[in-house]
Amino acid sequence: MAPLASIGFYLALLTFPDWSGAIEGSRYMTTILRDMTVFAIYALSLDLLVGRAGMPSLGHAAFYGSGAYAAAIASQRLATSELTVTLAAAIAVSAALALVIGLLCVRATGIFFLMLTLAFAQMVFAVAFQWTDVTGGSNGFAGIARPTFGGLETSAPEALYRLVVIVFGLVSLLIWWISRSHYGRALVGVRENERRMRALGYHTRRLKLSAFVLAGALAGVAGALSAWSFRFVSPNDAGIGRSVEAFVMVLIGGAGTLLGPIVGAGVVLYIDRVLSSAIPFSQAVLGVVFVAFVLAARQGIVGSLRAALVRVRR
Amino acid sequence: MSAAPALAVEGLHRSFGGIHALDGVSLAVADGERRAIIGPNGAGKTTLFNVLTGEIPPSSGTVRLEGTDVTGLATSDLARRGLARMYQRNELFEPLTARENVALALAAAKGPYRLSRARTSAESAEADVYLERVGLAGRETARARGLSHGERRQLELAIALAQSPRVLLLDEPTAGMSPAETASISRLIGELDRSLTILIVEHDMDVVFRLADRITVLHEGRPIAEGTPAEVRGDRLVNDVYLGKALEA
Ligand SMILES: Nc1ncnc2c1ncn2[C@@H]1O[C@H](COP(=O)(O)OP(=O)(O)OP(=O)(O)O)[C@@H](O)[C@H]1O
Ligand SMILES: [Mg+2]
Repeated sequence: MAPLASIGFYLALLTFPDWSGAIEGSRYMTTILRDMTVFAIYALSLDLLVGRAGMPSLGHAAFYGSGAYAAAIASQRLATSELTVTLAAAIAVSAALALVIGLLCVRATGIFFLMLTLAFAQMVFAVAFQWTDVTGGSNGFAGIARPTFGGLETSAPEALYRLVVIVFGLVSLLIWWISRSHYGRALVGVRENERRMRALGYHTRRLKLSAFVLAGALAGVAGALSAWSFRFVSPNDAGIGRSVEAFVMVLIGGAGTLLGPIVGAGVVLYIDRVLSSAIPFSQAVLGVVFVAFVLAARQGIVGSLRAALVRVRR
Repeated sequence: MSAAPALAVEGLHRSFGGIHALDGVSLAVADGERRAIIGPNGAGKTTLFNVLTGEIPPSSGTVRLEGTDVTGLATSDLARRGLARMYQRNELFEPLTARENVALALAAAKGPYRLSRARTSAESAEADVYLERVGLAGRETARARGLSHGERRQLELAIALAQSPRVLLLDEPTAGMSPAETASISRLIGELDRSLTILIVEHDMDVVFRLADRITVLHEGRPIAEGTPAEVRGDRLVNDVYLGKALEA
């Protein structure tokens, strides 16, 4: 039932521009859905660390931002809009950066890990801000070409929407696959008891580093998609606000679940984009929602619903 | 005696601030031997295990595993060389089921970088064998945090056994167990294959005298006696510092 529902939901999402034409404001809704989907990928990538491996990174925007810049800069410098080239550049740069930062961070745990990732992300932010020749500095990088794939263009909103949703599908599939695999369970082992994992013969630092690099690469993918969606990248995409955003999405939605980060991204973007034009102080609303979850529902929306469902079934 | 001892330590020292937890420990445990390490609280028994498993580096001294100097090796590498440990304070994967706790130990040999499916029926069957051996049949799908104290000790042992170790360190396996649980776990330990070398820290002297081939008595970080159970029982010094009290209790 659950897999069928997920596939049905996914197909409905994928074909949204095709069947929503009659609904008022459907173009705007397509844009919102696209951005929710980009952020869902970003939140899913962070959840690999926070939810699965128990690594509370507060610097994930470093990889989101570097992916966005890499896609934009590769496209400009190599004078190509070919998806395979620009996306590969985004993945390569964010993964390489995650490898370097990860090597320096995975020795630390808990609050120290959190502070270290935050510090390194601030360095990446500073580079984006000051390396004006390459990044455009504080003005950001505008007019980014949307990618082509073979002969297919994505300059039309519907085409880009489809690209984003397809990538989202692939990333979700990967995360789902990992969660069932030996690799995914080993990450949970590290989260629950790293000392015992070492005593069992697992090289836990290497394992954590691998998760850090994978999560960084996937955040880079989300960053590239955002660069194409907004056709704009700025240092803020590597800034602390962007890092916190992913963290909030994961916690509100439910860490360590597949659906949680997706729901979290949806809720945060809904408050940020839709509610903000309807009511004043929507950021404060987001803050209150976040605090409410931290205080009353640590497992997030999805985790709490699941627990409630288990109780009802009994 | 051509074969090297399974485990040999030379002049181990380790201090914490001003406390000499290990103050010159040397001992050699033969292949297949059951060696009990006894001594009063704070004697340094757990610290010795921590040094043997690489969790705490010694200030000085050497550790040899089957003749190879392994001093300073990482805990995970020592585990891969066949060293397994049952912790005095349980180190479990609390929200995971008993079966998954054991499965993580089983899966360690093949490494974590596998995208193939975990939780297969073959894996469960293998894990359940270990759970049954330690007396946890029927508790496979209970979460570790939901088990009773005795059951948690049993799970600790199942995890260590599932590593298929060559040298097994048991830190107070029967601590806090009921007499019935103590009897069954010590019977289980007694029946373990003789190819396995076992070091056991234990305060229950019945268990010690039943299982041990040889006993080392540790006091304030120093071995003060070593011998067969009969020899140690007759040792004046040992009776003064430890056995007299331990047997009365
Ligand atoms: N990590 C540590 N930091 C500081 N002191 C420690 C540490 N580990 C052990 N000690 C101290 O070293 C001494 C030996 O402790 P250890 O735990 O090895 O004793 P033990 O023989 O296992 O005792 P018990 O029978 O109570 O388990 C104690 O004084 C203890 O307080
Ligand atoms: Mg102890």
